[in-house]
Amino acid sequence: MKHTSLRQLTYMAVLTAVALTIFVIEAQLPALAPIPGIKLGLANIVTVYAVFALGPGQAAGILLARVLLGSLFAGGMTIFYSLAGGLCCYLVTLVLYRLVSGKQVWVCSVLGAMAHNAGQIAVAVAITRTPGVLAYLPILLVSGILTGLFTGLCAQFLLSRLPKAGPPGGQP
Amino acid sequence: MKSTKFWIILIAVLLCVCLAASILVLGGKTQSATARLYQGGALVRTVDLSQVDKPFSFTVEGPAGSNTIQVEPGRIRVSQADCPDQVCVHQGWISNSVAPIVCLPNQLVIQIGGSPSETEIDGVSE
Amino acid sequence: MKRFCLSAMLLAITLLAACAPAASQAHTATLFAMDTVMDLSAYGEQGEIALDNAQDLIRELEGLLSTTREGSEIYALNHGETVALSPSTRELLDRALALCGDTGGALDITIYPVVRAWGFTTEEYQVPDSQTLTALLDKVDYTQITLEGDSLLLPDGMELDLGAVAKGYTGDRLMELFRQSEIASAYVNLGGNVQVLGASPDGDPWRIGIRDPDGEGYAAVVEVTDRAVVTSGAYERYFEQGGVRYGHIIDPDTGYPARSGLISVTIVSQSGTLADGLSTALFVMGKDRAVQFWRTRDDFDFILIEEDGTVTISQGIENSFSFPGEQGSYALEVVRR
Repeated sequence: MKHTSLRQLTYMAVLTAVALTIFVIEAQLPALAPIPGIKLGLANIVTVYAVFALGPGQAAGILLARVLLGSLFAGGMTIFYSLAGGLCCYLVTLVLYRLVSGKQVWVCSVLGAMAHNAGQIAVAVAITRTPGVLAYLPILLVSGILTGLFTGLCAQFLLSRLPKAGPPGGQP
Repeated sequence: MKSTKFWIILIAVLLCVCLAASILVLGGKTQSATARLYQGGALVRTVDLSQVDKPFSFTVEGPAGSNTIQVEPGRIRVSQADCPDQVCVHQGWISNSVAPIVCLPNQLVIQIGGSPSETEIDGVSE
Repeated sequence: MKRFCLSAMLLAITLLAACAPAASQAHTATLFAMDTVMDLSAYGEQGEIALDNAQDLIRELEGLLSTTREGSEIYALNHGETVALSPSTRELLDRALALCGDTGGALDITIYPVVRAWGFTTEEYQVPDSQTLTALLDKVDYTQITLEGDSLLLPDGMELDLGAVAKGYTGDRLMELFRQSEIASAYVNLGGNVQVLGASPDGDPWRIGIRDPDGEGYAAVVEVTDRAVVTSGAYERYFEQGGVRYGHIIDPDTGYPARSGLISVTIVSQSGTLADGLSTALFVMGKDRAVQFWRTRDDFDFILIEEDGTVTISQGIENSFSFPGEQGSYALEVVRR
């Protein structure tokens, strides 16, 4: 990773705050399924955006900070679900982001969201020791595709409006 | 770099597969409540209570005579028994796993599994 | 790249930590013994052997303590024979007689002839006339029993029934066996008598439901570790005649089924024998006497359910007691010392 400028660090902090806000607000919404920790993953808009705008290293930093801070608000076992989902989503995005063009960011997001749900379910199975939880996977994947499409298009829109690879105003 | 068309088709296929799987899952277990009949500890019959459309009954023979088992959508009971104590008949309908019906003279146990209440507690004192 | 590697490692470690505590293996067995169904679960490597030994122990105790089985020590005593008591029978008789004394006769292990007159032993139910009962009550008095060494002196015409304590005692012996087998977590349900060793395998206390006396579900939940949870209720075994419901728990004072206003009594105690005996005794006593009795002791807690739906619990389980979901039709009262 290249030298991180103060500007870039500030920008990452702002993005983390945005992600955290989305994460906390989303935590207040009613649960999608009667299993703790399973939700839509809207905060990944920021992750996807950061991967494309700043690069994988910075995106990982933002993601980790968001998950750790977010779990302070949510408490309990949430951190495991978030970390697993976040990690899976991140890895898929990492592989894909070189394969897609600027108009295909949503693809990253859709597949990332599916990976996110798969990761969460894997942890849910491990924690509850109930393989039956797997039955929720297809339903969650459907929601993952739809919300992933939505968040991906959001991120794509952001990327086309905000200058790439740096905070607004460009590199000094 | 793949064309956008490729990605659209890939994701559309994934969506269809997941939708189909979801419908299978949701349709398959509206409420999986399967009643299992054990006699002398061995499983002798299972009845999927969620698949019952019309009430029906059947009898089970045991060492002390017969038990008539009555089944309705989502619930099951012993409606008649040859045993003198009639504990199993007194218990009436059951629809969850909390308290299995037990007929001691006939060593018959009717246990419902798979309902959500099963995970809430570890056992019942009665 | 440094930060990325660090992040990835952190993620990996946390994920591993989440997946690491694999379920310790559950071993279960179901058997018909002591006129009831028994479910046994033991967790851990030694579980299977421990369960085999547990079933042997249950059969052994059944062979000693059964009232109806020819060849049991109790059967022999009831038929006027003199027996050299086994250590198990002696220990249980010792503890049962102490409980009879402690409860002032609300528990009486010599009630058997009266229970038989009502037909609860043969299931040919009938309401005996009062003369029969008066005559039979002469033969009901645990104080006339003398237990010395390994012999017991039972006056003519008197009969023993350990039904109110045998399952509880069996529970205690099973816990002892599991403990010796280095089982950390076990659950037994001996025909409704629940007793647990340690906490549940996931580390939380065991959540034990209390059967709803009016319905098919459970009325309350109590969270316990290393405890016996024993419930006695009039809903278990009863018959109806002339519109009156006769329950199987007989008041040794009157010879009639106990009608104390209670429909369910649950005792939570470290001792299964105590919990079993007291669940019957407190049912006979009724709420006021039961609460008074509790104030003199520190070795058990109770859950009393009255006909009008009032639930009374003792202080000691206040924090581990809950109603499932909604409180439903029950009003809760907590008794403190």
